[in-house]
Amino acid sequence: MDPMIFVQYSPILIRGFGLTILAWLLGTVFGMALGLVIALVQRYAPKPVTWVIQAYIEIVRGTPFLVQLFVLYYGGPMVGLRLDPLPAGIVGLTIYGSPYFAEIFRSGFRAVPHGQIEAARAIGMAEPAIVRRILLPLGLVSALPALVNFSIILTKETVILSIITVPELMYQVQRMSTETFRFLEGNFVLALFFWGLVEVISRFGRRIETRITRHLIERP
Amino acid sequence: MVQASSVEIAKVNKFYGPFHALKDIDLSIAPGKVTCLIGPSGSGKSTLLRCINFLEEYSSGEIRIDGQLIGYKTPGGAKMSGRDLRTMRRSIGMVFQQFNLWPHMTALENVAEGLRRVRGLSRTEAEARAAEALRKVGLGDRMANHPSRLSGGQQQRVAIARAIAMEPKLMLFDEPTSALDPELVGEVLNVMKALAAEGMTMVVVTHEMGFAAHVADRVAFMEKGELVAVDAPARILHQPEDPRIQAFLRTYHERNLF
Ligand SMILES: Nc1ncnc2c1ncn2[C@@H]1O[C@H](COP(=O)(O)OP(=O)(O)O)[C@@H](O)[C@H]1O
Ligand SMILES: [Mg+2]
Repeated sequence: MDPMIFVQYSPILIRGFGLTILAWLLGTVFGMALGLVIALVQRYAPKPVTWVIQAYIEIVRGTPFLVQLFVLYYGGPMVGLRLDPLPAGIVGLTIYGSPYFAEIFRSGFRAVPHGQIEAARAIGMAEPAIVRRILLPLGLVSALPALVNFSIILTKETVILSIITVPELMYQVQRMSTETFRFLEGNFVLALFFWGLVEVISRFGRRIETRITRHLIERP
Repeated sequence: MVQASSVEIAKVNKFYGPFHALKDIDLSIAPGKVTCLIGPSGSGKSTLLRCINFLEEYSSGEIRIDGQLIGYKTPGGAKMSGRDLRTMRRSIGMVFQQFNLWPHMTALENVAEGLRRVRGLSRTEAEARAAEALRKVGLGDRMANHPSRLSGGQQQRVAIARAIAMEPKLMLFDEPTSALDPELVGEVLNVMKALAAEGMTMVVVTHEMGFAAHVADRVAFMEKGELVAVDAPARILHQPEDPRIQAFLRTYHERNLF
């Protein structure tokens, strides 16, 4: 390994890593938001609507992210959807993650004991208030570990954005490798940066988990 | 003394698919009276109780609270609007076997929640009334505890406070002490007795025969979806004529011998 390469390439590697984090963060946040909406609609909408959404879920889950990104970036302009690489990548991550997040929220909601929903109905609470005050807070707690887990999986999907020329970490590492003919260093950088990111996310996830389950653990 | 509702149940049937869970149930409950529902497990007690506040839809017949039909616009007709149903439910309190407190809220927040979201009170006002309800059930010193930090008996008393804070005119109890350790049963029954003494109309599904004998005005015995008999507690519990009731009480007494 040649440490001088890292010194020389550190500015573009760091910039690339910044973009990786940005794309991941926005893709995850938007994907979660879309997934939450999907899960709520699936729970409350009439049957025909849920069939349409189920079809969306099956299609997105049944195709590789790479294919989705190609269709969005190269196929989009044919239907008038012209996106720059980075926005296309973020939209792609959002779409790709949404059905998984939706399933995570769905099972989180299912974990809320039905009796606690009934108790709210029995005192005359309206459904929107029940969702906001009981279903969401309790469902999120159950969903949290799986949400963090899938967010971690998504960090590694960002490398695919290099295919549509988003200058994120993978893109810059490839550039470094082809310019210097040193491939070991590139893989080392990828491993190190992703390991660091994943570590931070999972620690953060555990911190939140301890915080929000503080009152829920039985300690009579 | 509370304002208390009457309940009239007439020819109520309930089907779960092909299963006939309630068969032509007739039962009227006068304002301020306590009715205990007893009977073997699976006889339809919970189903009947849950039909009274329409947590369970009945298939035919009529259930009226203070003369007003619950769940449907007309007997056998279309369902009533969600808004109308919620309005009726405001004055019907319910207490469940599993307490069903909201675990992410303190005792005070559990009780204040309905006052805020349903009655539209301000937070301060709601919490003041919630505190009053909690003191009434003897939990003035436990208001800041989350359910996970309360005993079963305390949790069930919070659940009762949550219901009575809404100032109901009718209270439904579904085996309120069945999930409790024996030494915690008394504190919950005492709160219920106090409520009965205030003149609340109460329908109580229970296996506590002592409570039925001493507090109930009438005891109803159910079996296999039928209301077999409704009468004064003594006539059901001490001199039952129906062999089904005799058999039920025999197994009950055998279980309590040691
Ligand atoms: N949601 C349901 N779907 C199908 N059958 C049910 C349902 N709820 C209750 N039952 C059946 O109805 C009968 C009466 O139940 P329930 O009212 O809970 O009895 P109890 O409270 O007297 O023990 C039982 O046989 C039970 O299996
Ligand atoms: Mg029952």
